[in-house]
Amino acid sequence: MNPMLKGGCFDATRYSRRHLLRVGGLGMLGLNLPGLLRAEAMKKPSGPKPRAKSVIFLYQFGGPSQLDTFDMKPDAPEAVRSPHKAIASKADGIQVSERLPAMARVMDKVTLVRSVHHTMLNHNSASYYALTGKAPPLDDIRLRDTADLMPAYGSVVDALSPVAESELPTFVSYPHIIRDGSVTPGQHASFLGKLHDPLLITRDPNAVDFSLPELSLPAGLSYERLSARRELQKVIDAQTRLMDHAAAARGLDSYYEKAMAMLHSTRLREAFNLSAEPDAIRERYGRHTYGQGCLLARRLVEAGIKFVTVYFSETIGGQSTENGGWDTHGFNNTRMYPIIEKRHLPITDQTLPTLLNDLDERGLLQETLVLWMGEFGRTPKINGNISRDHWPYCYTVLMAGGGVKRGYVHGASDRNGAYPAEAPVRPDDLAATVYQLLGIDPRAEILNAQNRPMFIAEGAPIAGVMA
Amino acid sequence: MPLTELTTCSEPSTTIRCRVRTGLGWCGWLAWVLGNCVLLGSPSLRAPADAAPTVSFRNDVMAVLSKGGCASGPCHGNRQGKGGFRISLRGEDPSEDYQTLIQDLAGRRLDRQSPEDSLLLLKPTGLVPHEGRVRFEPNSLEYGILERWIREGARSDVATAPRLTALAVEPREPVLHAPVESFQLRVLAQFEDGTSQDVTRLAVYEPVAPIVDVTVGGRATFRQEGETTILVRYLDRQEAVRAAHVPSRDRVWSWQLPTPANAVDALIYEKLKRLRLEPSARCSDEEFLRRVFLDLCGILPTANEARGFVADSTPDKRTRVVEALLDRPEFAEYWALKWADLFRLEERALDKKGVQLFHEWLVQQVVDNTPLDVFARSVLTARGSTYAVPAANWFRSHRTAVERSEAVAQVFLGARLQCAQCHNHPYERWTQNDYHDWTAAFAKVDYKVIENLRRDDNDKHEFVGEQLIHVVSKAEHKHPRSGKVCSPRLLGQGEALNDSMGDPLLPLADWLVRPENPLFARAQANRIWYHLMGRGLVDPIDDFRSTNPASHPELLETLAQELIAARFDIRHLIRRITASRSYQASSVPRAGQPEDPLNYSHAIVRRLTAEQILDSASQAAGVPLDFVGRPVGTRSAQLPSAESERRRGRKDRGNSGADLDIFLKAFGKPPRQLTTECERNGEPAMNQVFQLISGPTLQEFVSIEDNRLKTLLASGKPLENLLDELYWSVLTRPPSEFERQTLLTYLQVATDGSARRAAMEDILWGLLNSKEFVLRR
Repeated sequence: MNPMLKGGCFDATRYSRRHLLRVGGLGMLGLNLPGLLRAEAMKKPSGPKPRAKSVIFLYQFGGPSQLDTFDMKPDAPEAVRSPHKAIASKADGIQVSERLPAMARVMDKVTLVRSVHHTMLNHNSASYYALTGKAPPLDDIRLRDTADLMPAYGSVVDALSPVAESELPTFVSYPHIIRDGSVTPGQHASFLGKLHDPLLITRDPNAVDFSLPELSLPAGLSYERLSARRELQKVIDAQTRLMDHAAAARGLDSYYEKAMAMLHSTRLREAFNLSAEPDAIRERYGRHTYGQGCLLARRLVEAGIKFVTVYFSETIGGQSTENGGWDTHGFNNTRMYPIIEKRHLPITDQTLPTLLNDLDERGLLQETLVLWMGEFGRTPKINGNISRDHWPYCYTVLMAGGGVKRGYVHGASDRNGAYPAEAPVRPDDLAATVYQLLGIDPRAEILNAQNRPMFIAEGAPIAGVMA
Repeated sequence: MPLTELTTCSEPSTTIRCRVRTGLGWCGWLAWVLGNCVLLGSPSLRAPADAAPTVSFRNDVMAVLSKGGCASGPCHGNRQGKGGFRISLRGEDPSEDYQTLIQDLAGRRLDRQSPEDSLLLLKPTGLVPHEGRVRFEPNSLEYGILERWIREGARSDVATAPRLTALAVEPREPVLHAPVESFQLRVLAQFEDGTSQDVTRLAVYEPVAPIVDVTVGGRATFRQEGETTILVRYLDRQEAVRAAHVPSRDRVWSWQLPTPANAVDALIYEKLKRLRLEPSARCSDEEFLRRVFLDLCGILPTANEARGFVADSTPDKRTRVVEALLDRPEFAEYWALKWADLFRLEERALDKKGVQLFHEWLVQQVVDNTPLDVFARSVLTARGSTYAVPAANWFRSHRTAVERSEAVAQVFLGARLQCAQCHNHPYERWTQNDYHDWTAAFAKVDYKVIENLRRDDNDKHEFVGEQLIHVVSKAEHKHPRSGKVCSPRLLGQGEALNDSMGDPLLPLADWLVRPENPLFARAQANRIWYHLMGRGLVDPIDDFRSTNPASHPELLETLAQELIAARFDIRHLIRRITASRSYQASSVPRAGQPEDPLNYSHAIVRRLTAEQILDSASQAAGVPLDFVGRPVGTRSAQLPSAESERRRGRKDRGNSGADLDIFLKAFGKPPRQLTTECERNGEPAMNQVFQLISGPTLQEFVSIEDNRLKTLLASGKPLENLLDELYWSVLTRPPSEFERQTLLTYLQVATDGSARRAAMEDILWGLLNSKEFVLRR
């Protein structure tokens, strides 16, 4: 080991470690973290009393059909109602699809919001709305993932109410970056700065050798030595002063600070160690990417991570039983029902009840809000392909734990599940609800790309769902 | 606003449309606008006595439906309509909209007896509840037009009304200097019968970025400094206005624009002058050399190359080094990599052999300097075995007519057609018919699977084995809406493609690259510009459309014409661009000026691509890459396929085989599933930083025994020289005095051999992790 890294010798030199550190701080280096400054500039009002410590957001890309999951309309005309029967569940008066029998047994733990509505018909626009709670400026396939768009929920949480431990990320998302043609907006920190981006894992948690070697130091490299290296890096960075004038350089540096803290953490490393789970539990969640992703979500919230987003699929899918999301139009001579019967419904019925029970048994459901939703529902009328198209005008969102009621239905759709019949809820209201439950004032302000203050949620918390 | 606002003519009560015969002429109109003699409502226009006295459905009512926002996507223009009322998106289909208005709801929508009781008036004024809230007031111009049209019998003149032929908007490229922050837009509509009309009040204004507000009357006011496009629409026409609001920068004229090195600079400087931005100084020799090596060849200069270049005192050394780089094999490999991304070279569809052959062919095209027109033509006309005719693999990676037609439009013409597959894009150039007729031209080429030894029977996208690309003359493409067979047609062109050989792609390829087709040269020039300058003049580079105008339209045109004049020689254009002062500008903005991402006042700082970082780090550390099935030392830019092959598990290194793959993926090497540069993501992310800090690949470069450090330490040279050598190798510059002192101290306190080696490793790590290494500046 370099003696300079040991106390005595080091101090004897003209260029002390502290000096190196100071150099690193010159010329606004290391201080000019746009995200930090932005966050400091924002008001942090003392929020409401937190009901949830963490959120697990299970994002169902493509848009699941409300009429074939949690808003069955057995009495609707044949052209509308699901070919699957509605069955009673453990919660009085709440019916679900017969293809979700395990789900039926845990409906007493969840709240359904059956009157969520908006008007965005494109996957990317609607998903952005779902992932941020902010209506997109346009409902158009060309909505681009630009820095003037609203950050993801988890990024807002990281900016306003980050985890206390610097070694932990506030926001983790995996196992994909979702895209429909282009990258779907709403998955990262956007104008809040890259510092608030999620820790994004694109490795498959179902892979036999799933691990995050990046989170551990290479053999033979101590944390102290790595810190010394970081000081050397700062000396070199100070020369070109790239960080003074190039946003690209500043963004990169803010990552280094966070990465260094995370590398120092055994707690974080252990949270990602799925092999520590007994085989029986891993089987129960299902040996597929999404199932193991849900299990990983439980481990992460157990470790103290605040916001975990699990994407069901990378693409909108809907045409395959092997991969992809819920976008079952019946295109290219496929048919919706054989596909969801074989893929989407079984996976959902395996993972969601398992996760809810597991959290509940560990006493974590109380403090963990589970949010299961897609970007929209599907057309009440079954189309010419015996499938369903996009329908944002009314669909169902499932919430559980974290301060919401158990065995409850909020709002209702009309007789065909086409429009809200009572208590309509917008994604803006869902956003306000999530923030409220986390103890963040939905009227808190962040500064947008133009440095103008904006509310983190435009809607109002849904009082009806709060336990 | 009263009805007469627009038409304070001598017969205001009878005239809505106030046309000017073109006798006044176009120049006359300009003079009129510039002379500012007409403000809204001022009575200087006079309708000729024979002007139609009635409101036109096609030209007035339809304009109101757009102006009121009624026909927009979120409202009644939605595919599903709103509240049971559906009209065509942005007024695309006036005759259908007319039918909708007069037939629905048993006529409640229009009440000819008592126009003011029509829903068409009650709803938008909020007199009966309207989910879309109040759109205009009862005393507005909009109301007046609708009311009057109903009163006059709600007749359709869709077939007879003169059609709009052009929309003239002034100003086109306003630059506002603070404290001025607003300007008035003027819109003049020209009709086929030779008349024209000031439609400023009825045009729709849509700023692309929310930094400017535009009133209904067309007065635009900036909320903050910046530059954006304002889309101006009237009926079925749209124009884009590029507007900028800049600080006063009073000190601005204390500097002089540098002398332009060539036409590129002249046009860049022209805009900088208007924006009062001073171009940055010329970059240093060290910066230039590193930049041009990375941009042209994707690698770094060696320490010797760099020192030699800096010491060279001949004035044309920058030109000469570009010339030398253009001849290097790395140039061909690096530029072929860009095509390999766009042509989707990956093994699942093409198989290993196909990828290999196609890739070798691409590299050879760049080596041979095949003109771009010949290149594009040989891809589109490749027929035969995918093993015998390498370019035929393009038809294998793009298996359907739709994929092919979209890819050709995007890669060669810079046009994204995807929207037009399902609907006309109002105001965009291509209609749904254009799309499907164009696509039909690609339907006649089919692939015959001679054998398929796919490993995964369920993977319908995997093909292993030879295929034959051939013409099937009876193959056809049907329009999805009408079900009619489309006849192959050039994009947006009139006559059908009739070819006696039954292969419409032959004449299509000829047309595509003809110098008279402006799209091809523009798209290619823009792509080359993007790769050198970091931002397309049209950005994204494959999204040319009227609503996404070039930041420097004239420059784009100049470059396109140069490319044509040079017979599509990419090296020629690269020489021109790299010779400009704008390419050679420092990345540091002038003091007091902001970072400028749009106008090239300084070089754009951007992260190196995946291959650039990996190959540069490997070169700088002196550790050759070792990919499976490739000779040791193969660079990642030489890999033919999307999935980089896995590295042999070498026991002495102990790394898992997928490390290099994960490294490249983390830094954005694309999976090549899409035909677009956007797939290659340059965003920094946490996982990249982990790769650099503690990832196995970087760690190996630094710590493997047999790397550059070993050679250096074994040389027995003084520490100072070692440090010097390392800096030149990694950063293309000597250490500064401060760095030298600091790092020497760091090295000197390590006395024994292993401690010194460890200290050198730490410094190498610091250099490879520095912003200067990871970013191109």
